[in-house]
Amino acid sequence: MPRIKKEIIVKNKQGLHARPAALFVQIANKYEAEISVKKEDEEVNGKSIMGILLLGAEKDSKILIIADGVDANEAIVELESLITKEE
Amino acid sequence: MKVTDFLSKKAISAELKSTKKEDVIKEMVDLLISAGEIEKKHRAKLTELLMAREALGSTAIGQGVAIPHAKIDCVKHLVAAFGLSKKGVNFDSLDGEPAYIFFLLVAPQDSAGPHLKALARISRLLKDKYFRDSLKQSKDTASILKIINQEDDKKT
Repeated sequence: MPRIKKEIIVKNKQGLHARPAALFVQIANKYEAEISVKKEDEEVNGKSIMGILLLGAEKDSKILIIADGVDANEAIVELESLITKEE
Repeated sequence: MKVTDFLSKKAISAELKSTKKEDVIKEMVDLLISAGEIEKKHRAKLTELLMAREALGSTAIGQGVAIPHAKIDCVKHLVAAFGLSKKGVNFDSLDGEPAYIFFLLVAPQDSAGPHLKALARISRLLKDKYFRDSLKQSKDTASILKIINQEDDKKT
Protein backbone atom coordinates (compact mmCIF):
# COMPACT_ATOMS: atom_id res chain seq x y z
CA MET A 1 0.00 0.00 0.00
CA PRO A 2 1.49 3.30 -0.99
CA ARG A 3 2.34 5.92 1.58
CA ILE A 4 2.91 9.23 -0.10
CA LYS A 5 4.10 12.52 1.29
CA LYS A 6 3.96 15.77 -0.54
CA GLU A 7 4.99 19.22 0.50
CA ILE A 8 2.66 21.88 -0.84
CA ILE A 9 2.59 25.65 -0.63
CA VAL A 10 -0.88 27.00 0.19
CA LYS A 11 -2.01 29.34 -2.56
CA ASN A 12 -5.58 30.15 -1.50
CA LYS A 13 -5.80 33.89 -1.14
CA GLN A 14 -6.94 33.77 2.46
CA GLY A 15 -5.16 30.60 3.45
CA LEU A 16 -6.90 27.43 4.61
CA HIS A 17 -9.86 29.20 6.18
CA ALA A 18 -13.24 27.63 6.88
CA ARG A 19 -14.46 27.08 3.33
CA PRO A 20 -11.31 25.53 1.83
CA ALA A 21 -10.88 23.49 5.02
CA ALA A 22 -14.40 22.09 4.58
CA LEU A 23 -13.71 21.34 0.91
CA PHE A 24 -10.40 19.71 1.83
CA VAL A 25 -12.13 17.40 4.28
CA GLN A 26 -14.90 16.59 1.80
CA ILE A 27 -12.30 15.52 -0.73
CA ALA A 28 -10.22 13.65 1.84
CA ASN A 29 -13.26 11.70 2.97
CA LYS A 30 -13.90 10.39 -0.54
CA TYR A 31 -10.72 8.37 -0.31
CA GLU A 32 -9.96 5.23 1.58
CA ALA A 33 -6.42 6.33 2.34
CA GLU A 34 -5.62 7.74 5.74
CA ILE A 35 -4.76 11.37 5.29
CA SER A 36 -2.93 13.66 7.63
CA VAL A 37 -1.61 17.16 7.30
CA LYS A 38 1.47 18.53 8.95
CA LYS A 39 2.50 22.13 9.43
CA GLU A 40 5.70 22.79 11.29
CA ASP A 41 5.64 20.26 14.14
CA GLU A 42 1.93 19.76 14.27
CA GLU A 43 0.19 16.87 12.54
CA VAL A 44 -3.60 16.63 12.27
CA ASN A 45 -6.20 14.33 10.77
CA GLY A 46 -6.89 15.43 7.19
CA LYS A 47 -10.47 14.28 7.49
CA SER A 48 -11.38 16.68 10.31
CA ILE A 49 -12.26 20.32 9.57
CA MET A 50 -11.28 21.33 13.08
CA GLY A 51 -7.92 19.68 12.59
CA ILE A 52 -7.22 21.52 9.34
CA LEU A 53 -8.42 24.82 10.79
CA LEU A 54 -6.27 24.70 13.88
CA LEU A 55 -3.17 24.68 11.70
CA GLY A 56 -4.05 28.23 10.67
CA ALA A 57 -2.26 27.72 7.36
CA GLU A 58 -2.00 31.14 5.75
CA LYS A 59 -1.29 31.90 2.09
CA ASP A 60 2.25 30.90 1.06
CA SER A 61 2.73 28.68 4.09
CA LYS A 62 4.10 25.20 3.64
CA ILE A 63 2.17 22.10 4.59
CA LEU A 64 2.92 18.43 4.22
CA ILE A 65 0.16 16.08 3.15
CA ILE A 66 0.63 12.44 4.05
CA ALA A 67 -1.65 9.86 2.47
CA ASP A 68 -1.51 6.19 3.28
CA GLY A 69 -3.62 3.64 1.42
CA VAL A 70 -4.59 2.22 -1.96
CA ASP A 71 -5.80 5.52 -3.40
CA ALA A 72 -3.17 7.72 -1.73
CA ASN A 73 -1.85 9.05 -4.99
CA GLU A 74 -5.22 10.15 -6.37
CA ALA A 75 -6.09 11.76 -3.04
CA ILE A 76 -2.93 13.85 -3.01
CA VAL A 77 -3.43 14.99 -6.60
CA GLU A 78 -6.95 16.21 -5.90
CA LEU A 79 -6.05 17.88 -2.58
CA GLU A 80 -3.08 19.61 -4.13
CA SER A 81 -5.23 21.10 -6.88
CA LEU A 82 -7.60 22.48 -4.22
CA ILE A 83 -5.00 24.25 -2.13
CA THR A 84 -2.95 25.58 -4.99
CA LYS A 85 -5.96 27.38 -6.45
CA GLU A 86 -5.46 31.10 -6.08
CA GLU A 87 -8.98 32.13 -5.27
CA MET B 1 -4.03 35.01 19.88
CA LYS B 2 -6.46 33.87 22.56
CA VAL B 3 -10.21 33.39 22.31
CA THR B 4 -10.69 35.85 25.15
CA ASP B 5 -8.87 38.49 23.04
CA PHE B 6 -11.79 38.70 20.65
CA LEU B 7 -14.75 37.13 22.47
CA SER B 8 -17.06 39.87 23.68
CA LYS B 9 -17.63 39.03 27.34
CA LYS B 10 -21.11 40.50 27.28
CA ALA B 11 -22.09 38.61 24.13
CA ILE B 12 -22.39 35.15 25.65
CA SER B 13 -25.57 33.12 25.90
CA ALA B 14 -25.79 29.91 27.91
CA GLU B 15 -29.16 29.13 26.40
CA LEU B 16 -29.98 30.14 22.85
CA LYS B 17 -33.71 30.02 22.34
CA SER B 18 -33.70 29.70 18.56
CA THR B 19 -34.12 26.35 16.91
CA LYS B 20 -33.46 27.29 13.27
CA LYS B 21 -30.24 28.33 11.58
CA GLU B 22 -31.27 31.84 10.58
CA ASP B 23 -32.85 32.51 13.97
CA VAL B 24 -29.71 31.40 15.79
CA ILE B 25 -27.68 33.80 13.66
CA LYS B 26 -30.08 36.66 14.39
CA GLU B 27 -30.09 35.88 18.08
CA MET B 28 -26.30 35.96 18.15
CA VAL B 29 -26.10 39.19 16.15
CA ASP B 30 -28.42 40.63 18.78
CA LEU B 31 -26.00 39.50 21.49
CA LEU B 32 -23.32 41.62 19.82
CA ILE B 33 -25.71 44.55 19.54
CA SER B 34 -26.73 44.39 23.20
CA ALA B 35 -23.08 44.10 24.15
CA GLY B 36 -22.47 47.37 22.33
CA GLU B 37 -20.08 45.83 19.79
CA ILE B 38 -22.25 46.59 16.77
CA GLU B 39 -24.79 49.30 16.12
CA LYS B 40 -28.37 48.21 15.69
CA LYS B 41 -28.64 49.79 12.25
CA HIS B 42 -26.25 47.13 10.89
CA ARG B 43 -28.39 44.24 12.11
CA ALA B 44 -30.10 43.41 8.80
CA LYS B 45 -26.97 43.78 6.69
CA LEU B 46 -24.84 41.67 8.99
CA THR B 47 -27.48 38.94 9.19
CA GLU B 48 -27.70 38.93 5.41
CA LEU B 49 -23.91 38.58 5.05
CA LEU B 50 -23.79 35.75 7.58
CA MET B 51 -26.58 33.90 5.78
CA ALA B 52 -24.91 34.46 2.41
CA ARG B 53 -21.78 32.86 3.83
CA GLU B 54 -23.83 29.87 5.03
CA ALA B 55 -25.25 29.52 1.53
CA LEU B 56 -21.72 28.95 0.21
CA GLY B 57 -21.31 26.01 2.54
CA SER B 58 -22.27 25.43 6.14
CA THR B 59 -19.96 26.78 8.84
CA ALA B 60 -20.89 23.83 11.06
CA ILE B 61 -17.49 22.18 11.21
CA GLY B 62 -18.56 18.96 12.91
CA GLN B 63 -18.55 17.63 16.49
CA GLY B 64 -21.52 19.86 17.32
CA VAL B 65 -19.67 23.10 16.59
CA ALA B 66 -20.60 25.95 14.23
CA ILE B 67 -18.66 29.12 13.50
CA PRO B 68 -20.83 31.48 11.44
CA HIS B 69 -18.73 34.40 10.25
CA ALA B 70 -18.73 37.43 8.01
CA LYS B 71 -16.68 40.46 7.14
CA ILE B 72 -18.23 43.87 7.42
CA ASP B 73 -16.77 47.32 7.95
CA CYS B 74 -19.03 48.32 10.82
CA VAL B 75 -16.48 46.71 13.16
CA LYS B 76 -12.96 48.06 13.65
CA HIS B 77 -11.53 44.80 14.92
CA LEU B 78 -12.46 41.14 15.08
CA VAL B 79 -15.22 40.41 17.56
CA ALA B 80 -17.06 37.22 18.52
CA ALA B 81 -20.22 36.13 20.30
CA PHE B 82 -20.71 32.75 21.93
CA GLY B 83 -23.88 30.72 22.28
CA LEU B 84 -24.99 27.34 23.49
CA SER B 85 -28.03 25.44 22.38
CA LYS B 86 -29.08 22.72 24.78
CA LYS B 87 -31.31 20.99 22.25
CA GLY B 88 -29.02 21.37 19.26
CA VAL B 89 -29.79 23.06 15.96
CA ASN B 90 -29.79 21.61 12.48
CA PHE B 91 -27.01 23.62 10.85
CA ASP B 92 -26.42 21.42 7.79
CA SER B 93 -23.11 20.23 9.15
CA LEU B 94 -20.94 17.91 7.10
CA ASP B 95 -21.12 15.16 9.69
CA GLY B 96 -24.91 15.48 9.87
CA GLU B 97 -24.88 16.18 13.60
CA PRO B 98 -26.80 19.09 15.15
CA ALA B 99 -24.76 22.05 16.39
CA TYR B 100 -24.68 22.89 20.10
CA ILE B 101 -21.71 25.21 20.38
CA PHE B 102 -21.66 28.46 18.40
CA PHE B 103 -18.96 31.02 17.88
CA LEU B 104 -20.09 33.88 15.66
CA LEU B 105 -17.23 35.95 14.26
CA VAL B 106 -17.41 39.38 12.73
CA ALA B 107 -14.28 40.89 11.20
CA PRO B 108 -13.46 44.04 9.24
CA GLN B 109 -13.18 43.61 5.45
CA ASP B 110 -9.41 43.56 5.19
CA SER B 111 -8.58 41.13 7.95
CA ALA B 112 -7.72 37.77 6.42
CA GLY B 113 -4.83 37.25 8.87
CA PRO B 114 -6.57 37.80 12.21
CA HIS B 115 -9.66 36.01 10.93
CA LEU B 116 -7.66 32.88 10.08
CA LYS B 117 -5.86 33.03 13.42
CA ALA B 118 -9.16 33.31 15.28
CA LEU B 119 -10.59 30.29 13.46
CA ALA B 120 -7.39 28.39 14.24
CA ARG B 121 -7.57 29.30 17.91
CA ILE B 122 -11.23 28.36 18.28
CA SER B 123 -10.58 25.04 16.54
CA ARG B 124 -7.56 24.31 18.72
CA LEU B 125 -9.63 24.69 21.86
CA LEU B 126 -12.74 22.95 20.58
CA LYS B 127 -10.90 19.92 19.26
CA ASP B 128 -10.70 18.75 22.85
CA LYS B 129 -13.75 16.63 23.58
CA TYR B 130 -13.52 17.25 27.31
CA PHE B 131 -13.60 20.99 26.70
CA ARG B 132 -16.60 20.69 24.36
CA ASP B 133 -18.45 18.58 26.88
CA SER B 134 -17.80 20.95 29.76
CA LEU B 135 -18.96 23.88 27.65
CA LYS B 136 -22.14 22.05 26.71
CA GLN B 137 -22.90 21.41 30.34
CA SER B 138 -22.40 25.02 31.39
CA LYS B 139 -25.42 26.60 33.01
CA ASP B 140 -24.54 30.28 32.90
CA THR B 141 -22.34 32.82 31.16
CA ALA B 142 -19.94 33.09 34.09
CA SER B 143 -19.05 29.41 33.94
CA ILE B 144 -18.72 29.52 30.14
CA LEU B 145 -16.26 32.36 30.42
CA LYS B 146 -14.38 30.58 33.18
CA ILE B 147 -14.05 27.36 31.16
CA ILE B 148 -12.88 29.26 28.07
CA ASN B 149 -10.38 31.24 30.14
CA GLN B 150 -8.94 28.09 31.68
CA GLU B 151 -8.57 26.38 28.32
CA ASP B 152 -7.06 29.50 26.78
CA ASP B 153 -4.40 29.54 29.49
CA LYS B 154 -3.72 25.82 29.21
CA LYS B 155 -3.06 25.85 25.47
CA THR B 156 -0.44 28.39 24.56
